[in-house]
Amino acid sequence: MMKKIIKPILWLALLVILIFFPKLFGIYYTNVFVTFAIFATYAVAVNVLLGYTGLLSFGHAMFFGFGGYGTALALKHIDGIALMPAIGIGFLAAMLLALVLAPVVTRVSGTAFAMVHLAFGQLFYILALKLRNITGGEDGIGNFPIPAFTIPGLISFPMKGDPVNFFYLAMVLLGISLWLMWFFTKTPFGQIQVGIRDNEKRIDYLGYKIPQTKAIIYVVSGAFTGLAGSLYGLFHNLVSADGSLGAMISFSPIIAAMVGGVGSFFGPIWGTAVFQVIEELTHRFTDRVELVMGVTLILVVMFAPSGIMGFVNTMKMKWHAYTASKAKMEKTS
Amino acid sequence: MDPTTSMYVAQGIHGIAYGMVLFLIASGLTIIFGMMGILNLAHAAIFMLSGYFCYQIIFLTGSFWAGLVLAPIGTAIFGIFLERVFMRSIRGAGHLGELILTLGISLVILGLVKIFWGTQSLPMQVPDILQGMVNLGGLDYPIYRLFIIGMSLVVLILMVLLLYKTRLGKIVRAAVSDRDMVNALGINIPLVFMLVFGAGCWLAGIAGVAIAPILTVFPGLADQVGMDAFIVVVTGGFGSLAGAFVVSIIFGLLSSYGVQFISQLAPVLMVIFMAIVLSIRPNGLFGVKE
Repeated sequence: MMKKIIKPILWLALLVILIFFPKLFGIYYTNVFVTFAIFATYAVAVNVLLGYTGLLSFGHAMFFGFGGYGTALALKHIDGIALMPAIGIGFLAAMLLALVLAPVVTRVSGTAFAMVHLAFGQLFYILALKLRNITGGEDGIGNFPIPAFTIPGLISFPMKGDPVNFFYLAMVLLGISLWLMWFFTKTPFGQIQVGIRDNEKRIDYLGYKIPQTKAIIYVVSGAFTGLAGSLYGLFHNLVSADGSLGAMISFSPIIAAMVGGVGSFFGPIWGTAVFQVIEELTHRFTDRVELVMGVTLILVVMFAPSGIMGFVNTMKMKWHAYTASKAKMEKTS
Repeated sequence: MDPTTSMYVAQGIHGIAYGMVLFLIASGLTIIFGMMGILNLAHAAIFMLSGYFCYQIIFLTGSFWAGLVLAPIGTAIFGIFLERVFMRSIRGAGHLGELILTLGISLVILGLVKIFWGTQSLPMQVPDILQGMVNLGGLDYPIYRLFIIGMSLVVLILMVLLLYKTRLGKIVRAAVSDRDMVNALGINIPLVFMLVFGAGCWLAGIAGVAIAPILTVFPGLADQVGMDAFIVVVTGGFGSLAGAFVVSIIFGLLSSYGVQFISQLAPVLMVIFMAIVLSIRPNGLFGVKE
């Protein structure tokens, strides 16, 4: 009963905080929060594949990069394109890539799946560096025009050089994507993927087509990753091979999902938050981000293999067991 | 020999030399995977670390031969340390945990290397006897690359003899096919694991030393060569030595002829080859269906 009242209040409070965020915390933290929200969505999209279906991809940066490059190229080369279609092109580019790759990658699983993605991710990274006339090589595509967000005849928000407006746009788009993915995992179809993770053979015997099911999830995950990448490119007004396609971009959402808790929907968001804080702090003292990330990974795997959410759950269970045993003791004495 | 033919032959030997180095890395990776079920993502970093060890030993003693012998041994000891401290404690945490752990280890190695040796490329001198060219029927070819091929062949033959002619090799092969059964027969599997892990790191160490004078030593080495080795293992089939050998040589040739004809996009060829192989045989060229 209490939960039913508290939950909407909490969501409402979150919404209010988000609306007044730029006013409350200033431009710097608004930008930090946009980065956080983009990577949180990215981590959730990866986790839809990793936690719910058990497919680990070491190359999701290619979808991230496809989203970014798709949007940037569209804005640079198509005259008079509006903002939303450009973002849509990034989304579709990543989705198309996932569709093309799906027939190959859904045939392998486990370690081979991860390694195939590592290879493909690296392939696109090299391509982005070498195809200089399209992607701009090491410099990437920078300073492309960003049109204002307009609803014809109603409103128009300038986006370029206006972080507050961009913050609201990003929040709305990322919020919708998060909700859609959450909804997706709750549908019966979303439940099949959990089944595939836990017992692939059994789902097969039940008459579901495994490769096709995996392919759909793969495309969903890739497309939302592309959306996050597209927003990331717009946010920095720059897409580059290292910033959008590099190996670290593939690893960071996996790390976030691991730290937050694989298999829980909100875990990766917490994980991203923790990592954002760690990165903010380490950047102030040192630039050895790899070292900090590596040490965090080792510590998490060795001491909290199911992440923050898993850790919280175990603690909760222990607390319940403790209170229950205490109550029992009081009863008997 | 006319110039065109000699160019093709030279590129071919280049390719075989690179393929042999790839095989040294990939063989360690594939044996460790076959036996322990761990895909050691830190393998590439360990390979790079060996190059740095060698640089340091040459810096201290001035002798390339000392580096060639000692650096792989140091790498093997480091590998055994990793196995004892980290891998063993997370046995049974599943593939995901192992992948993430080894990824973390490789990031830490990369970070530490940057702290100790910086990010610039460190050049390495080979002794006079290995410098210069040798005449192969009208074709001048660098001795050092021939030396790499020769050394790799010696290591390969030693490895095959060890695996197929000794009792230890028999145990290792048995453990690859059924670890629990071998354990039940009273053989100390954790000890064998440790030895195999050390041997795999030793092989990677030799590769690291062998390639260091050609490419110089720099932090990107792990990504550049290590990635190729991972692709080799995936394409050749996990746990298959023969597959690793065949695919290594194919990749070596692909990359050297690829650089010759489409220099910009040579790395793409390997990935395309992998995609074709995997779409026909999902478990790799020589892989066995589980």
